[in-house]
Amino acid sequence: MKFKFNNQGKDYEVEIAGQVEGVKITVNGKDFLFNDLEVAQVAAVPQTMIPKRDLSSKEVRAVLAGSISELSVKPGDIVKLGQKLLTLSAMKMENEILAECDGMVKEVKIAKDQKVKEGDILITMA
Amino acid sequence: MDYNIKKFESLDSASAKAKELAANGAEPWTVVLAEKQEGGYGRKGNAWYSPEGGLYFSVILPKSNIDDLQILTILAAFCVAKAIKEDYGAEPFVKLPNDVYLNGKKVCGILTENIISGEVKSSVIGIGVNTNIDYFPADLNTASSLKKELGKTIDNKQFLEQIIVQLQNTFKAISQ
Repeated sequence: MKFKFNNQGKDYEVEIAGQVEGVKITVNGKDFLFNDLEVAQVAAVPQTMIPKRDLSSKEVRAVLAGSISELSVKPGDIVKLGQKLLTLSAMKMENEILAECDGMVKEVKIAKDQKVKEGDILITMA
Repeated sequence: MDYNIKKFESLDSASAKAKELAANGAEPWTVVLAEKQEGGYGRKGNAWYSPEGGLYFSVILPKSNIDDLQILTILAAFCVAKAIKEDYGAEPFVKLPNDVYLNGKKVCGILTENIISGEVKSSVIGIGVNTNIDYFPADLNTASSLKKELGKTIDNKQFLEQIIVQLQNTFKAISQ
């Protein structure tokens, strides 16, 4: 059986077919296989999915060698994209390091006035 | 290169204002000029005495790599020193990386600030020149002004434009 429908402005073409191992439903060319016990997606990841959230830790590293002149966050702080995390005095300049994403400060690996090398992990985010 | 001067009677900090404008999309070579600053600062947050009469401005720089920005910071002190020498025939001394002295007294400070989020998002160079300041607090005994040292009033507008043009020429030379 084939049919089409529109949901919130998007067209869907659906085909339902009975097979030995269960029922195969094809939505816009992507196959989903249903049997009594489980639902298995046969095809690749569907296009319409909730954006994947990266739950892995993110590291904020020193882009330059220098010293920490200001520390603006502590572990457990919730930070927003673009929020200042710390200031790194390096190469005779003050460098404000901002959060590259929303998240929580998991670990602060440096202290104020501490010297750091380029590439050192300064903060980890969760 | 063109530049655009935005003049304010008073600011907490010309650099703070310039960073705010940069974050909101202001063009490179926007110059924030304050007639006085209530919270002027230098490296490591040290206060910069900024009463009326001095020249306090911050320039939003074009996106650049960090090495070029460091060189520009150092050369900015030479730009200011050159302007003092050419306009007033004085012999300033550049204390590397970013201070200018005249007759052994500090007359100018420079601070570059970069905003980094993965990469350099914006850069602002702040320059404070003690031009027409008659009085300094007792604890600033190493500071002086061009007016005090040269015995003449400085034309802040002309001096500003000269430094900006020198900065632009220097930037052009190092970024080529």
